[in-house]
Amino acid sequence: MTKNGTGSFSLPFLVVVLAVAASPARAQQQLHYERPVEAAPQAEDIGAGYVVPVVQHYPARTQWREVTDVAVLAAALAVGTWLALRRRSRTGLVLLAIGCLAYFGFYRQGCVCPIGAIQNVTAALVYPQYAIPYVVVAIFLLPLVCAVLFGRIFCGGVCPLGAIQELVLLKPLRVPVRLDKTLGWLKWVYLGLAVWFVVRPAAKPDFIICRYDPFVGFFRFTGPLNILLLGAGLLVLAVFIGRPYCRFLCPYGGLLSLLSRISWRGVTVTPDKELDCGLCAEACPYGAIENLRATRPACLACARCFRHCPRHRVQTTGGQAPPATP
Amino acid sequence: MSEQPTRRDVLGHAARGAALLGLGGLGAYVARKGGLAGPWQIDAGLCINTRLGLVGLDACQLCATSCVLPLSAVRAVNDHAKCGRCYICPAYFDVKSALDEHGLPSGKLCPRDAIIRKPIGDIDPRDPANNYYEYVIDETRCNGCGLCVLACKEPAGLTSLRLEVRYNLCTNCNRCSIAQACPKNAYERRPARTT
Repeated sequence: MTKNGTGSFSLPFLVVVLAVAASPARAQQQLHYERPVEAAPQAEDIGAGYVVPVVQHYPARTQWREVTDVAVLAAALAVGTWLALRRRSRTGLVLLAIGCLAYFGFYRQGCVCPIGAIQNVTAALVYPQYAIPYVVVAIFLLPLVCAVLFGRIFCGGVCPLGAIQELVLLKPLRVPVRLDKTLGWLKWVYLGLAVWFVVRPAAKPDFIICRYDPFVGFFRFTGPLNILLLGAGLLVLAVFIGRPYCRFLCPYGGLLSLLSRISWRGVTVTPDKELDCGLCAEACPYGAIENLRATRPACLACARCFRHCPRHRVQTTGGQAPPATP
Repeated sequence: MSEQPTRRDVLGHAARGAALLGLGGLGAYVARKGGLAGPWQIDAGLCINTRLGLVGLDACQLCATSCVLPLSAVRAVNDHAKCGRCYICPAYFDVKSALDEHGLPSGKLCPRDAIIRKPIGDIDPRDPANNYYEYVIDETRCNGCGLCVLACKEPAGLTSLRLEVRYNLCTNCNRCSIAQACPKNAYERRPARTT
């Protein structure tokens, strides 16, 4: 540049003019900010009896709340088992489902749930540094243990996702058996994807089950638009087709159906002697009654069939007993 | 006289026993490095907004925008023991805005006006620049965007502000969407703070 005095003066001046011209909003006078203190003034510096306020904190509440979740889940499974196998009460199971929908759905806002816990457990299996909370392990295992002993009680009376679909099922249509079985494979694909999105190398685990949980947006009254639309679509479908998410998509339902194959006890349509009248098969919206018997992998313990069983009517109302076929 | 167990019964019992043992083993194996359920917390040493040495960045703001709740469960917290109680707080005022008639910046940094400023101690009304000021976060307004936290860092501030997760608001999601979004993995589950 120029070697005379005016040149060395004009260059920074030019820079300032350009900077001001480039940002008209900052053309007005600005603060030259410097921090006035090097250390925080304490109460004695401030004077006038000033008391330093305590830092805003909230006490930790989650510990007992999460232990409460496990206790509520265990209690709900026990009550559900009693209602489905002993008391044989559809009304009781619906009330239980509403209660669990209120607690696990709307109060706990869909977290924690065993369906999503599949991916946490997978992560804990694969990554040694992944610390899984005991509560999540318990929430994951309790319904599975219950399935080994008594079948899919969790699906029928406890799961909030199941409950919300159960309550809207007003006009059940029968799904053809072939289609039912074929769509049922989707849940295994979903389970595989869920595991893959945890174990895939070179990426953070993506909890897709939680991310694409179709109904959690309703529990929270907010959510991504596409998920809310997916949930609304599934609910509309669920008015006619019994529990589409549970039967065709839910990966945890897959695990439960697998374990309920060997369950110790299970839902039986009749309270005592098995009839071959076939009245129950019409009542089941989930295609779970094959050859006039409830199949444990598909039975969601909703107890609709009980009301259609002549023996059940006898037992609960003391009416005339039809002869039991041997 | 009890019925003889059939082969089917025996196999069923064996399968159930094996399944229960398997589930128990899975639980024990998985839980060996587990812990009591810690709530989500922000590691101030990793968070872009609070970590020292990172200056000249824009505030991350993902804590405010990623949470599934309508108003995020994250809040800014002022540690009053560390606060400089400045006349012109760089976290309260937008120090880049034009000055008003009192010589103070006309703009506030917080987009939700969630910081409350009040003079404290021996107040000299003729010399406001030499008074001390207390800055309290209004938790009903704050959404944890972290603009103020970033502004209160060296060399401008004394790092008295930080971001915290509010246990009473956080739903403790299994898949915390803030943790998923956090670019520095600063958002993690840890044992609850007891103080």
